Amino acid sequence: MKKIRDERLILRNLNNIRIAFIVQTIGIIAILGYDLVTKGMEGMTSNPLWIVFLITAVVLGYLSMNISVEHETGEKSPKRGLWISISVLIAITLGVGILVALSDGFGMLDGVIFGGIIFVCGIVPIFYIYHLRKKQNEELEDE
Amino acid sequence: MRNRLKIARVSMDLTQQQLADKVGVTRQTISLIEKGTYNPTLKLCLQICYVLNKTLDDLFWVDEEDFEREKN
Repeated sequence: MKKIRDERLILRNLNNIRIAFIVQTIGIIAILGYDLVTKGMEGMTSNPLWIVFLITAVVLGYLSMNISVEHETGEKSPKRGLWISISVLIAITLGVGILVALSDGFGMLDGVIFGGIIFVCGIVPIFYIYHLRKKQNEELEDE
Repeated sequence: MRNRLKIARVSMDLTQQQLADKVGVTRQTISLIEKGTYNPTLKLCLQICYVLNKTLDDLFWVDEEDFEREKN
């Protein structure tokens, strides 16, 4: 098969892929929905499609950050944003950690684990956004 | 967007297929550009201009009033 060089066909091909992605996502949601109804939450999450769905959602979320950063208006200091986000994340982490540790049936260790998971999950996108903002600022300075 | 691509192409005695081959696109794309249905990228516009020995203004320039009229 010849490689497509025509820009119009490349665009149309991308559009076709988008349609296929929508159909695929609807299919996955339908299968997971069926599993949820027939086998319950456990049955749904044990389906490998659940992992595929989650990974796709995470990748899409990260790719969307690329666009939302470019959509931001006004000059934002990446460092200031980074420190604000980290402070908020630490506050949330401590709050959740303490609440979990104080809950019935959970110990100190559970609080640390819950807080740690939230911290790690939060710090990655924060640094990614920081990296994107820094890159964008550097590009603006080049102009 | 309306343009003068067809006139320039015919004056150079080129068919849509020949022009398409020279710029590396399909004949349909040239046809759609001539009809004004497809807006090519600046890169493709330049490639077409190089082949037809014309400037961007010669082929693609439209006055602001015409542009606004076509947009609405």
